[in-house]
Amino acid sequence: MATSSGRGLVSHDTQKRLQRIAVYLTALLISVFTIIPVYVMVVIAIQSPATTFAGGRVNLLPTEPSLRNFLVLLGSTDTVRYFVNSLVVTLGSTVLSTTIAVAAGYGLTRFDFTGKSLAARAVLFSYMFSPIVLAIPLYVVFSTLGLLNSHFALTLALTAISAPFCIWLMWQYFQTVPIALEESAWVRGASRWRTVRDVVLPVARPGYISAAIFAFAVAWNDFTMARVVMSRDEMYTITVGASLFLDRVSIGWGETMAVSLLISIPPFLITLFLQRYLLQGFSVGGLE
Amino acid sequence: MSTALKSRLAAAGSALRERDVDGTTLLLAACFVPMLAFFVVVWVIPIVYALGMSLFASPVRNPEFVGLGNYAELLGNGAFWGFLWNSVVYAVATTGLSLIIGLGLALVINQRIRGGDALRTLMIFPYLLPTLVVIFMWKFILDPNIGILNQFLVDAGLIDKPIAFFSTLEFAMPAVVVTSVWKFASFAFFILLARLQAIDPDLYERARVEGATTWQAFRDITFPHLRGAILIILLVRGIWMFNKFDIIYLSTRGGPLQQTTTLPIRVYQLAFSEVNFGMATALAGVMFFLLAGVAVVYFRAFAPEKEVA
Repeated sequence: MATSSGRGLVSHDTQKRLQRIAVYLTALLISVFTIIPVYVMVVIAIQSPATTFAGGRVNLLPTEPSLRNFLVLLGSTDTVRYFVNSLVVTLGSTVLSTTIAVAAGYGLTRFDFTGKSLAARAVLFSYMFSPIVLAIPLYVVFSTLGLLNSHFALTLALTAISAPFCIWLMWQYFQTVPIALEESAWVRGASRWRTVRDVVLPVARPGYISAAIFAFAVAWNDFTMARVVMSRDEMYTITVGASLFLDRVSIGWGETMAVSLLISIPPFLITLFLQRYLLQGFSVGGLE
Repeated sequence: MSTALKSRLAAAGSALRERDVDGTTLLLAACFVPMLAFFVVVWVIPIVYALGMSLFASPVRNPEFVGLGNYAELLGNGAFWGFLWNSVVYAVATTGLSLIIGLGLALVINQRIRGGDALRTLMIFPYLLPTLVVIFMWKFILDPNIGILNQFLVDAGLIDKPIAFFSTLEFAMPAVVVTSVWKFASFAFFILLARLQAIDPDLYERARVEGATTWQAFRDITFPHLRGAILIILLVRGIWMFNKFDIIYLSTRGGPLQQTTTLPIRVYQLAFSEVNFGMATALAGVMFFLLAGVAVVYFRAFAPEKEVA
C-alpha cells in the first residue's frame, strides 16, 4: 500500500477508489484465466473442425454449431463402453467409501476406546498419501491375485484413495450431531439399530452427501489407478480411453474436446446443484 | 468441540457399553469391521508386500534377496537427485502460486463484490474437472501450430515463431506448473475463504474506529486468523503436488529429456516402462518414508488428531 500511516500523498477517498479498482481487476483477471480454457473446450466441441480451422486460424466465435464431433466419437470409438466402465467403478467406490465412512464416523464418535488419536493419525496419514505410491503396491497384489483388469479391483483402488477423507469428514460431522437425539429415542424404547436408521441417518444426511460428492469426484477424476489396474482396452475408464485418442490419426481436436465436454457433465452438475455440500467438505480439509 | 458436548458423548458412550441390549456389540462390529478390513486389504497388506519386494532384485521373475541393495543403487545414482529436485521445484512453484491466487481471490470475494457469488461458483468447476480434461484444454491453448496463445503472442509481435511449450526444455516445467495452478488454485481459495468468513466483523469495525489503515487491519486481524490455514495449505497441498502423477504424465510424460520427470513419474517409468519392480518398489519405499517424515512434522506442529479425539 502507498501509505501505512493514513496521511500520505493520496487522499482517503482516492485510496478507497484505487483499492476498489484493484479488487475488481483481480476478480476480472482470475475469472478470465478460469473461463478461457472452458470456453475454448466448449466451442471446439460444438463446431465441426472445418469451421474451427477455416482460414488457417482457430475460429472461436461459434457461428455454425454442429453435432458432428459427437457423432464421430460415438461412431468410431469405444467412448460409450469407457463411460460405462467409469460409471460402474465410480458408483461402486462412491457407495463403498461413503458406507465405510458413515459407519466409521458413527462408531468413532459414539464408542469409547483407547488409541483413538492413533486411529486419527492413521486416517490422516492415508489421507495425505500419494495415489501413485499406493498404486504400485496395489498393482503388485492385484497381479498376484489375478485381479487386474476387473471392475472389482479398480473399485477397491479408488475407494483406497477416497475413503480416508470421507472417514475424516464423517468423523468430524458426527461430532456436531448431539447424542441427545439418540438418547431420547432410546428412552422411548427404540432399539440401537432402529435409532441408527430412524434418527442418526436422517440427521447425518448433509454429512454423507458431502462425503459421497468427494468420493465421486475422486473416482470420476481418476487416471492413475485406472491406468495401472486396467491394461485391456475394453476395461478402460473414460479418462484412460480418451487419453489415448490424440495418438490416433482418425481423431482430432474436435472429437477430443467433444469427449472432454461429456466428461465435464457430472462436475458441472455438481457445481450447479450440490455446491453447498462441497463447500461444507472444504471446511474440514478438501481432497487431493 | 465444546467440552460439554465431549463429556456428554463420553458418558453416552459408556452408557452404551453397559446396557448391552438389542445388539450393541453387533453395532460396534458393523461400525468398525468395514473400516479395519478396508485398511488391512488396501493399505497394510499392499504396502508391506511392496516394501518386502523392494529388498529383492527382479522380484517377479527370479527373486534374489539383495537387502538394501536397491535403495543403495537408487540413492547412489545422480539421476535420482535430479528427479527429487524436479519434484521439489514443481511442488514449491505450484503450491506457492496456488496460494497467492487463492489468497488474492479469497480476499477479493470476502469484500462482497458484485458478482462474487458467481465467481465463487465458477471456481468450483476447475477443482472438480478431471485432470485429463484440463490437460486437453491447455495442450490446445499452448499448441505450437494451432494454439491460441502462440497465435496471440505472434500477432502481438512478442515472439517471432510459435513455441512448443510442453516439449521445449525451458518452457516444459512452467507450462506444467501453469496447467496445475489452473486446476488447484481453488483448493487454497475455498479453505481460506471459509476462514475469512469466520472472522468477527466487529474486529474490523473497531480497527476502523481507531483509525487503522487497510494494511494495518490486514496485518493485525486478517493475517493472524489465516496463518494456521496457510501453513496447512503449504504442507498438505505441497505434499500432494510433490506426489502428483497424472497431470505431469498426461502433459509431458516427464519429458523433454527428463526435464519434468519427478519422483512419481520415475516410479511409473521404473515399474511399467522398464518393468523393474525391485527398483520401482524401492523408490516407492523412499517416497513412503519421505511422506512419513513429513507426517511426523505435521502431527507434531498441528496436532490435527485433536480435532476429533
